[in-house]
Amino acid sequence: MTPAPQPPPRTASTAPLGRLLAAEVRWVLLRPRTLVMLGLFALIPVVIAIGVVVADGSGGRGLIGATAGNGLVLPVAAMTLALTLLLPLAVAMAAADAIAGETAHGTLRGLLLAPVGRLRLVGMKASGVFVVAVLATGLIAVVGVLAGLVVVGGADGQLVTLSGTTIGLGDALGRVALVAAWTVGQLAAVGAVALAISALTEHPLIVLASVLGGLIVFGVLGAIPALDFLQPYLLTSGWTAGADALRDPLPLGGMGESTLRALGYAVVGGGLTVALMLRRDA
Amino acid sequence: MNPHPDDTAVAVAGSDGAQPALAPPTDPAGSPAARVRGARKVFGRTVAVDLIDLDVPAGSVLGMLGPNGSGKTTLIRMLLGLTRPTAGTAELLGHPVPDAAAAALPFVGALVEGPGFHPFLSGRENLRRAATAEPLLTGREIPAAVETALERVGLTDAAGRRYRGYSLGMKQRLGLAAALLVPRRLVVLDEPTNGLDPAGTRDVRRIIAELHTGGATVLVSSHLLAEVEATCTHVAVLQSGSLVAAGELSRLLEADTSGLVITTPDVDAALRTLRGAGATAFLDGDGAVVVADGGPPAPEIIALLVRAGVAMYEARRRRPRLEELFARLTEDTP
Repeated sequence: MTPAPQPPPRTASTAPLGRLLAAEVRWVLLRPRTLVMLGLFALIPVVIAIGVVVADGSGGRGLIGATAGNGLVLPVAAMTLALTLLLPLAVAMAAADAIAGETAHGTLRGLLLAPVGRLRLVGMKASGVFVVAVLATGLIAVVGVLAGLVVVGGADGQLVTLSGTTIGLGDALGRVALVAAWTVGQLAAVGAVALAISALTEHPLIVLASVLGGLIVFGVLGAIPALDFLQPYLLTSGWTAGADALRDPLPLGGMGESTLRALGYAVVGGGLTVALMLRRDA
Repeated sequence: MNPHPDDTAVAVAGSDGAQPALAPPTDPAGSPAARVRGARKVFGRTVAVDLIDLDVPAGSVLGMLGPNGSGKTTLIRMLLGLTRPTAGTAELLGHPVPDAAAAALPFVGALVEGPGFHPFLSGRENLRRAATAEPLLTGREIPAAVETALERVGLTDAAGRRYRGYSLGMKQRLGLAAALLVPRRLVVLDEPTNGLDPAGTRDVRRIIAELHTGGATVLVSSHLLAEVEATCTHVAVLQSGSLVAAGELSRLLEADTSGLVITTPDVDAALRTLRGAGATAFLDGDGAVVVADGGPPAPEIIALLVRAGVAMYEARRRRPRLEELFARLTEDTP
C-alpha cells in the first residue's frame, strides 16, 4: 500500500455552499420515491383532462365542471386540488427524509462531522424541500396547461374566465404562473413546519403523520362556525384562493392574505428548525 | 473554562477563541490529539460517562476498551462534538469542542456507531456525497479521492452496487472509506471490525498501521482485545462510565508482569532450593512455582534448579495478556 500523501496546506473549514446545495438537490432527485412522486403529480392534470373528455361536456358543478371547453381552468383546478392534500404530503415527505430520515440512516452524523455547519445544514435541507415543492407544483402547472390545450382545446387562443369574460393566451399563462407561485409559497410554509418536526424526531413517519394530522385538524377547525375567530390563523383557510385567478378582474386579496399567513408559518417553522438543529445531538 | 491552567493547550484554545475558525489547527508539539477533562454525560437518570480525564497523545494508536454500555461511544461522541457533555470540557486537535469543532473536524475522520449511508445509492455515489461535504477537498479532487478511498478498503469492485445489497462487512468497509477520504490527523474508529471477516479484520489492522506510520493519531474502540493488543500503542479501559486504566500498552502490561513461572513435578524441592538461594518463590493457583523478580536473574535460577536435580517441564516469564488485565480491571470493580 502506498502511504497516504501529505495533507496539503488548506485553510477551508467548510465546503463551498454551492457544492453542498447541488449535492443536496442531486440527492433529492436521485431518490426513487421523489421521482415516482413527481411522475404521479404529472398524471393529476392528465387524469382530470381525461375525465372531462369522457364526461364530454355534460358538465357538473365546481372547478372541475368548469374545465369543460376551457384550457385555462385545468392547471388551476389541478393545483388547487393537489394543494388540499397531495402537495403538502409530498413536501412533508421530502422534509421527513431531509432530517429525520438522514438521522435514521446515520448520515446526518456524517454531514455534521465533515463538518457542515448546523446553520448551513438547515439551509441545505430547506433548499432540498423547496426544490421538491417547486418541481411538483411546476409539473402540475406545465402538464396542466399542455393537457388543457391539447385535450380540452384552446378555443382559438381565447380563454373564458369564471366571470364570463375572455382573456388571451399570454394573460392566461401569466395567471397559471401566478397560481403556481402562490402554491409554492403555501408549500414553503408546510415545508418549514415539517422540517421543524423533522428536526425534533428521528422517525420520518412522525413527520408525515404530524403534517397530515395537522392539515385535517386545521380543516375541521376551519369548518366549525363557532371557531370563526381562528380563521385568520389557520394555514389551510386560504387555500381556495387559487381559484381567484380564474375571475376577471383578478382579485388578489385572497392570495395576498394567505401568502402573508404562509410567510408567518414559514418564519416560525424556519426559526424552530434552526433552534432545534443547533442543539440536536447526532 | 479549562480547569488545568498548566496545560499547554490552554494557550491554543484561548487564541482560537479570538480567531475565526479558518486557520488549520496549530497545536504545539506534544499537545494531545484529543483530550477530555472532567467529562460527564447524563441521559435522564443514567450516567453514561462519569468524570473522565483522558488524553489521546498525538501520534499514538489508542485502543478504548470496555464492556458494552461502558460509555465508549458516548465519550467518542462528546469528543467529536456530536453531543454536549453535561459537565467538563473536550478538545480536538487543540480546539475546544463543540464550540470550535469546525476548526478541527476537517482533519478528523470518524466511523461512529456503525456506517451511515443511503440504501438507494451505490457505494461510490454515497462516498461522493460524503466527499462533497469535506472542506479539504476541492470539487476537482473529489472523484480521485473517492476512488483512492474505495481502493484502500478493497471495495472498488463493489462500488457500483447499491448500498442496500451490501453485506455487513462491506458496509463497514465503506464507513471506513468515508473516514479516509482526506488525509487525516486524527482517525476515530468506533468498533471498526464489527461484522468483518478475518480478511477484513486484517485490512483494518493494516489501515491502522498505515495511519500510524503516516503520523496520524488513531482512536479505536473495540471489544476485541486481541485486535487492540496487536494494533495499539496506548489503551484506555472504561467500566460503567469511568476510566479504570489508561496509558501505554506496554507499560500497563509490564506493571503487571512479575517473575518467572516454573512448572515442575517436584514442587517442594524447587521451593526449598529457590528459597535457600535467596529468591522469593511461591506456589500459584495452578500448582506452578512463581519466582518473583528482584532475586537472582532467570538464567541463574534455572541453572540452580538443574544443579539441584529438580525436574522441570517448563520455565517462562509471567506475562499477562491484555485479556487478563482487562478481565481484572473490569470484573473486580463493582
